[in-house]
Amino acid sequence: MNTMTRGNEHRAGDSEWAVETHGLTKRFGPNVAVNNVELRVPRGCAFGYLGPNGAGKTTLIRVLLGLTHANAGTMSLLGFDVPKHRDLALSRVGAIVDEPRFHSHLTGRQNLELFAAHREPAARERIGPALERVGMSHRANDKVSKYSMGMRQRLGVATCLLGDPELLILDEPMNGLDPAGMHDMRDMISALVAEGRTVMLSSHLLDEVERTCDAVAIVDQGRVIRQGSISELLSGAAVILQVECSDNEKANTVLGSGNLSVQVTSGPSGLDITLPAGAGRDLIAEVARVLMSNGVDLYRLQPTQTSLESWFLEVTSRLGEAQ
Amino acid sequence: MMTSSGTTRVVRVETGPPPNDHRGSWLPNGAMITKRFMELRRRRGLMIALAVVTIGLPSIFLIVRLLAHAFAPKSYGPAGGYDIFTSLVSGVLFIFGFIVAAALGCTAGSIDLQEGVFRHLVVTGRSRVATYFARIPAGLAIVVSFVAIGYGIVCLVCSFAAPTVLSYDGVNVPAGLSQRALDTWASSHAEEVICRFNFGFENGPPSASFSSVVQNVPCNNGQGRHIKIVGPPGSQGSSSQPTQAEIRSAAVTIANLDYSDYSKQFLSPSDSLMIRTGLWIELEAAVGFIVGLGLGSLTGQRTISVILMIVLEVILTPIFLRAHIPHMINLQRSVVGVATDHLGPSSIPIAGGGGQNDQANLISETRAWAAIVVAAWVVAWTALGAWRMVSRDT
Repeated sequence: MNTMTRGNEHRAGDSEWAVETHGLTKRFGPNVAVNNVELRVPRGCAFGYLGPNGAGKTTLIRVLLGLTHANAGTMSLLGFDVPKHRDLALSRVGAIVDEPRFHSHLTGRQNLELFAAHREPAARERIGPALERVGMSHRANDKVSKYSMGMRQRLGVATCLLGDPELLILDEPMNGLDPAGMHDMRDMISALVAEGRTVMLSSHLLDEVERTCDAVAIVDQGRVIRQGSISELLSGAAVILQVECSDNEKANTVLGSGNLSVQVTSGPSGLDITLPAGAGRDLIAEVARVLMSNGVDLYRLQPTQTSLESWFLEVTSRLGEAQ
Repeated sequence: MMTSSGTTRVVRVETGPPPNDHRGSWLPNGAMITKRFMELRRRRGLMIALAVVTIGLPSIFLIVRLLAHAFAPKSYGPAGGYDIFTSLVSGVLFIFGFIVAAALGCTAGSIDLQEGVFRHLVVTGRSRVATYFARIPAGLAIVVSFVAIGYGIVCLVCSFAAPTVLSYDGVNVPAGLSQRALDTWASSHAEEVICRFNFGFENGPPSASFSSVVQNVPCNNGQGRHIKIVGPPGSQGSSSQPTQAEIRSAAVTIANLDYSDYSKQFLSPSDSLMIRTGLWIELEAAVGFIVGLGLGSLTGQRTISVILMIVLEVILTPIFLRAHIPHMINLQRSVVGVATDHLGPSSIPIAGGGGQNDQANLISETRAWAAIVVAAWVVAWTALGAWRMVSRDT
């Protein structure tokens, strides 16, 4: 009977999504920190949960990990329903919430021993390799009270690795890291993903998420407003053409009076022509043709993709205007 | 530095839960208990406080007495002995053992929360109840060890540095005499017995001649013993000089009267008393730890919990022991300190119960009721602490 149950639970864990939520809601009195969130994190990728401070990123993570209960909705981790099969789900999850905290009177190794004791017996054998992997072997026997913030972050990642996790959930992992530490953390996340693990990280550092993640969800005021791969999301964003030409004024008049639905503004080194979202190469060629046919000489015409940051600001400001 | 992604590692990521993983079980595994023991044991300040109170205080007291007796044996009695044993047990180990055990319990119950580690333990998927239960054997191992060491020192000194002669009402009397032997001894030390032993007759003296003898024995430089013997008229005796036979007879009468009290006086604590007392103070410390653990978990605040436990032990328990509040006697008996006091060996004075004269005025409680109260406190606080740990948002 137990075997059957166990087997069924294993099958329950076979899902294409590492994290899946439906209508997840968490309220603190009148405040809705997580508002009807529909989230799907694909397996085997680095996924960014992106939003400004106070958007509800950490609260969502706390709900997913069973640190606090949801008021409504369903969720699953690695295909296991949470909180029903929370123990099974979390057995292959490593997580840092808020910031890594440890018993400061213990050494790094002793802290890991304490955490490993709460996992399966094999976790104790992973302490040495985990410390080595995060580059903390040489300081493992120092008390945590002597660690810098960056070292604590690394020790936090080592804690996550004790369970040989399929899914890592990292809350603001770049916090407190210097540029070299951020670079190392990026490399670490890439390496973990390359091993087939899923890394879900929350951050308000858009640049870091853009560099680290394959897919993102944008959250604002507790709601997921966009999600998908970064390339997909940005393909829906506007493209800006930077133009250097012989006569800026004439170019502005010609483009404004034509049938092209573009926006022209003066930039520091010429004109910035904003093409509508989804515009292809044909429109770029049409812009060049119109200018040339009206006697405007082109010296430079460079399409630039909107960065995640400007797209994020664009999306969130649109949301703000709508509200 | 972290491993670069430049050298991609080929790692087979395990999928599905680990085999034989009983992570949802309420029972902690051995590793959780030993690592929690390690975490608590390495709290240096707390361990020093535990050692000072359970081992240091009685040790210093006994060392001072040993030295004083070694250098001035006529002024200072032996370091050990029965009286010292009972005083140290009820005055130091029982009360302070409870307090430091409670402090350790409050720490164990709240420190993961205060240091932000609790959430990292929760995200391992391990049952929160198991995490709570792991602290009980881990903390008890520390508390029981410290109390046992301190108590062991007290037992050793009180046994091996005990007086060789019993001082009963200021008279050196051989210890452990049978009633007949005490009669014989009293007969040969009749004047000391009559002059120094305390005695009294509820229904008056056994005979008129007894009163006469007692009042005419030359105590206090020949003045006689000025005692008032309550009895029927005509029993006050005369002032004639008693014979030696009458004096010996009166001494034997007094010895018989005092035998019950004398038989409770020992040079050193017996083995059975030491074992029973040891179990009793260990019980008190264990209860202190478990209640402190539950309270610490419930409040999530170490300092507040420790203060509450000290108030319970030092202020509330003595009040509830002595005050006879109408209609609230059963409530008073339900206080854990009152109950554990009544579970102790009868020859040990009740801790916090005041001096010898106060002991008879303390509220009474049967051992069965006391045992039920202690068990209820342990179960209730364990359940409360575990419930709060499960229900707490972190």
